Order: sequence, then structure tokens, then C-alpha cells
Amino acid sequence: MKRTLILVVVLIVVAGGSWWFLSHRNPNTVGDTLDIYYTKAADGTSEVSWPVSMRPMQSGETSAEHLHNSALYAAVQTIAGPPADVQAVRFPTGTRVIGVTVAGTTATVNLSGDVKNQPGGTFGENGEFKSLVFTLTAIPGIDTVAVLIDGQKLDTLPGGHLELDQPFHRGDF
Amino acid sequence: MALAGASVARADAAQQFVFAGKALPVSHVATVGGKLAISVRDPGLAQLLRAIGASLTWNPGERYVLFTTAEPQIVSFAVGDTRYDIGPRSAQASFAPYEMSGTVYVPFDELLSAFYLASKRDGDAIVIQPQLASFDVRSSGSGSTLVARSGIPLHPRVVADSPSQLVYAFDGVGTTLDRSRAIHAEGIRSITFAQSGTTRAPVTTVTIALAPGTTHGRLETDDRNGFSLAIGGGAASAPEPVAIDTPAPTGAPAETAAPQETPSPAATGAIVTGIDAHAGPNGYSVDIAVTGDASYDWHRLRDSGNRFWIDVHGATLANVIQDLAGSDPVSSVRVKQFDASTVRVALSLNDFKRLDVQPSADGVKISVYTDDAGDDVAVSGGGTLGNAAAVAVVPSPVPSGSDWKFGARSTYVATNPRLIVIDPGHGGSDPGAGRNGLHEANLTLDMAKRLRDILVARGWQVIMTRTTDVDVYKPNDSAPEELQARDDVANNAGARMFISIHVNSWLNAGPNGTTVYYSKPMDVALAKAVDASAAAQLGTRDDGIVKSRLYVTRNSKMPAVLVETAFLSNPDDLAKLTSPDWRQKLALAIADGVKDYAGAPPAPSQSTNQ
Repeated sequence: MKRTLILVVVLIVVAGGSWWFLSHRNPNTVGDTLDIYYTKAADGTSEVSWPVSMRPMQSGETSAEHLHNSALYAAVQTIAGPPADVQAVRFPTGTRVIGVTVAGTTATVNLSGDVKNQPGGTFGENGEFKSLVFTLTAIPGIDTVAVLIDGQKLDTLPGGHLELDQPFHRGDF
Repeated sequence: MALAGASVARADAAQQFVFAGKALPVSHVATVGGKLAISVRDPGLAQLLRAIGASLTWNPGERYVLFTTAEPQIVSFAVGDTRYDIGPRSAQASFAPYEMSGTVYVPFDELLSAFYLASKRDGDAIVIQPQLASFDVRSSGSGSTLVARSGIPLHPRVVADSPSQLVYAFDGVGTTLDRSRAIHAEGIRSITFAQSGTTRAPVTTVTIALAPGTTHGRLETDDRNGFSLAIGGGAASAPEPVAIDTPAPTGAPAETAAPQETPSPAATGAIVTGIDAHAGPNGYSVDIAVTGDASYDWHRLRDSGNRFWIDVHGATLANVIQDLAGSDPVSSVRVKQFDASTVRVALSLNDFKRLDVQPSADGVKISVYTDDAGDDVAVSGGGTLGNAAAVAVVPSPVPSGSDWKFGARSTYVATNPRLIVIDPGHGGSDPGAGRNGLHEANLTLDMAKRLRDILVARGWQVIMTRTTDVDVYKPNDSAPEELQARDDVANNAGARMFISIHVNSWLNAGPNGTTVYYSKPMDVALAKAVDASAAAQLGTRDDGIVKSRLYVTRNSKMPAVLVETAFLSNPDDLAKLTSPDWRQKLALAIADGVKDYAGAPPAPSQSTNQ
């Protein structure tokens, strides 16, 4: 009787411990670095990446929150671009990331209206958005990138050539 | 957990903050252990960020507070974490950011330091003083480059300029740098920093003692808060940093990790330089151009029976088209760098056909025969290319976990195979890119008319989306309405091709050349033909073909390209664009590309319109 009781207690502890372990382990594979891409100004289409460190997942942070934080960090880094002495296709001056949401495998990046101040020509638009899409889709768990401008969903970049109606994936470039 | 409630106190509401001689409307600050904390929603902070060209990303409920400096550099704080990051560097704050009343308070001094600013008390006021926070000396073989950086744009005054010393004064800027330092760099003996003036109007003086016989000149920089000086000449070309003469105030940036080219497959000799797929008299062929020594093997995939993988081992993929439209019986051809040393060509067929894979003069030739495949045809094989050791290549078993996606074959049939639609970009209420009174809309119309005349002379029918300076849809319409209207012209007429003509532009004179943009697999062959012809005839740099998600090429049902003819923002290109002779050459180059792609137009009897 006593042995059975001990066995039951051990079983409960093992089952509980297993449940705790399985439910708290990190299923997210977002690492401690993010690859941030920029498009070379030399040709307007080649992508180059540099690694930035990303805080590891904190206790109390769910994997969904961590994925969101990673996407937010990556988007802000991409819009800021590489150091000023690097010849990169840069987003128009003043373009800010207002916010990022992640739903399923799609990251939606809300950019400030400054992104509409394009210099004309396909060169800039293509290079800017290609780097954003490459950066975000480099994050495990994100496959496509939707773009909002001042919170609005638009069919095309105003005054531009790029189609924004559907989320981008890498294959679009 | 980081918020020790008792230690958080409202700062003196009467506290005045001053930046650049003006009061900042700072109202949401608190003190934590004697240190200032500021709300990310504080209006004074917002004004300060605007003034220094920085921005903030934070939304209610979010843990991360991200600042982008003008440099650009990202400064990231996280609620409950004393660690914060400035670019690639981590630092420790005196307290952790905390959440209160729906906003986040961040350590103010640490934030200012990251922006190369410092708070200084001046009587009752707190003066936010820009700092000359870094002064790097980079030495190269022939000279040195000095790079100074501050929290505001630097406008140095030249105080003295003699063969032995250079003295610059930076008004409005304080400094935390060491007072003097001997430098062992080309052309420079020492650098001395001195701060004078008042807390509100500081002046930092930098004295550079020069070695005899040096020259110097100011360098252009994109960094709006930076100042660069070349000493001794020849130092402008990316010199190596030898001494970072910064006593590292909290927040001084570390050198950024060198960007890496991607992808970076292992260097393995052979290179796949091109893929060409075409229909021939006896079927369909795919030529894989390979330079160097490699081996290959191929096999039929078990799952559908109509898919084949051809792997070239010991090879890397050059920048070639990776997504080709097929033509019966091939529905698609995809190429990718499968792993560090394997280039994989995936071939999808409409139904099972006999395949033959053989070495050719330039690489590997894949032939797909149109006759029905018998039961006993080979479904795998292999061989070697170049001087690769002739070891027997055993076809690998069918790998699992394939991530290939096979697109549907294009089914577009032009109802008028003689018709080409030409789209002169922009027009009417949208002049497009502009420079020196020249407008993209007028240039594209001129080139389009020249192209029309050549194509008509060669027997094609041509419809222009516009022939004058007008909007195609209506004035001041939205971009999608306008762009769809252009596609509608071609889609409704069942055109064979759609060619949109544009002029490129960028913020500086660097980018130049001719680029052919496309979106759909069916566009590739036309894009390649136009690009090859343009590269051979135009004298502009060949920027190649570039896939992008452009509205007009994506929403046209037929093969379409958008030709960015040249850059208005580049002086050499601009000279070409302004030359009628060159614009005629451009038209001819596109027309010749059309000829290489489609041959001669079909006889008029085949046309549905005449």
C-alpha cells in the first residue's frame, strides 16, 4: 500500500515535471543574432547582411512575444540601414517603423508616411523593400512581409511602381 | 521586478530642460535613485528626437523601446532589463526601464549618451549639451583619416591652418575626450582637445599637430553628424582603423561588424554561369553552362513521376535566373544553390517524357524528348565535367523533405500575336522623376514613340498606352488605377508583349545604367533579350535583369518588361538621356531585343485586328 502510494506520488511528480518542461521549453528557434540585410547601391539588387545581437528570450517572455520583438527589432534595424559610410539603398529620410505585428508566418510592418518620399525610379523602391523582406524572412517563423503606410493598407507605393496589396515573399525579388 | 516603487519619485515639475538654446517641453520625468528617467511619450523627448534626426519605435504594451539615431545606430531598451544595446554593443544602465501609467520610462542619461549628448546642470536648468564624443584616427599606407562624430551636425571653424598644425573649433559642442594624445599615425603627431565657453554655449577646440610635408582636405560624408578629414592624401579609400581615440563614454559605438556577402557558398571551383531553356525541333532543351570541373547526377523523383532533379556537384551558382518558364512539355525549370557545393536544376514536366542528360561543350545539356517515354527509359544517370576525376557517380537516392514548389505553366495565348503594347511611364498629373527641368514622363514618351516607329516599320502592330502628356486613367488618379489602366490596354487587346519605358533616379549620382525589370516567369526570356540588346548597343552600364514586384509587369497577362533606361541622377546617363541620338539608339536596342525574343512578327493574316 505504502509502495503504491510512493509510486503514485513519483508518477505525479514525473508527469507534472514533464508537462512543465514541455510547456516551458522554447519551441522558438530565433537565435541571439539577427541577419539584417541591405541592398547594395552599386547595383540596386544585391543583398548583403550583417549580424546584430538580439537579446535572448527572457523568462516570462512567450515565444510569440519573442518572435514579435525579433521582427520589430529587425524591421527597425533595416529601416535605419547599415553605418552611414556603407553605400546602401536607404529608405527615404525620416522613414520610421511605427510598429510590427506578427500573425501566423506573416510580419506586418507599419511604416511612417515618409516612405512615400521616393526619389522616383524603380531602383530605390526595389532595393528598399527587398532588404526589408529579406531581413524579416530570415527570422525563423516568418515567411512573408506585409506593409502598411501610416496604418493604411495600400495597393501600390504612392507615386511608385511597387505593388503592396499582398504580403511579399522572397520570391517576389 | 525592476521597478522599485519607493525609489520612483516625480522630478521637480519646475525643472527646465534646454537644448540648443531653446527650452524643451519636458514634463514626464521621474527620478530613480537620484537618476533621471523619462517617459517615451514625453513631448520634450519627441522634440529632442526631431531636432537630432532620431526616431522612436514603441507601442503600448510592448517591452522593447527602440531608438534610431541619425548615425544610424539602434539603441534598444527592454522593460525590466538593465542591459541596453547601442548598435552592436551592450551596456549596463543605472536602472532598468519600467512601465508606469501605460508608458515606459527609460534612463535619461544613458539615452542622451547614446545620442552623443550629455546633461549638464546650469543653475536651475538642465542643459542638454552635444558632445564631441568620438574622434577616430584611421591610418592607411599613404595617410590618415580623422572621423569626428557628435550628436548634432558638426560645422567646424578653421582657427589655424599652417604646415605644422591644424586647429578647428566646434561651436555648441562640449567634449569628454582625453585632453591630449600622441598619435602614431601617418602625417599626425598629436591631437589636443580643449573645451571653453559656457555650459549653454560650449566650444571644443581640436588642435592637430602635423608632421612636416603633409597635405590635408575635408572628406565628404553621408553621416550628417560626422566630420572627416584626410591627412597626407590617399586616405579616402577605406583605411583600417588603427586607433579609436575615444575614452568610451557610455554609449560610444563600437566598430560595426563587417557586413558579409550572402549567400556565401563554399568556394568550390566550378561555377554555373547560366541556364538557358528553349524549345527545339525535337523537343525541349536546357543548357547548363558550367565553367570548371564538376560532376553531375540526375534522377526522376518518385512522387509524381514527372519531376527530375539534375545536381551539379562541386559548383556554385552565379547570379543567374532561377525561375524559367517552360514550354510544352516542360512546365517549369528552377535552379538553386542546393547546398554549399551543389547546384540543383529542378525540371517539371506535364507528363512523363524521355530525358537525356549529357556533358556538352559548355556544361551539361538536358534534352526532353516529345515522343512518349517507354517503360525502359533511363530515369537516372551521372557524369563528370571538365577535368574532374572520372569517378563513378552513383545517383543518390531520392532525398526527402524537398521544399520545391512548382508553379503552373503559363497558359497565355495572345489573341493578337502581332500586337505589342508600349507604355511610356508616368505622364499627365504624374511627371515621374525629374532633374534640371527634365521630366521622366516626357523622356519616356519620346523614347516610346521612337520604339513604336521602329516596330511598326518592322511589321508589328503597336498600341501606346498614351501618346501625349496625359494620365492614362484620369488626372490625379491613384497609382493602382493608373497602372491598371495601362495593363488593361494590353490585357483587353490580347497583346503579345507589354513594354513599359521608364527613367530611373536616385538620391546621389552613383547608381547608373540600364536595368530591365520583370515579375513573372513568362517575362524572363523577353527581359533577357532586351537586356542583352541594350547592353550591346547603349553604352550605359548593363545593370542586368532584375525581378521585382512591380504593378505593371505583374498585372499584365502577357510577357512584360519595365525598362529603366538610364539614371537622371547620374551625369553621364543624363547626358545620354538628353541626346535624341541616344534615345533613338535606346528604341532600336529594345526593338532588336524584341526581334531576338520573338523573331519577325507573324503575317498580317494571322492578326485578329486586320
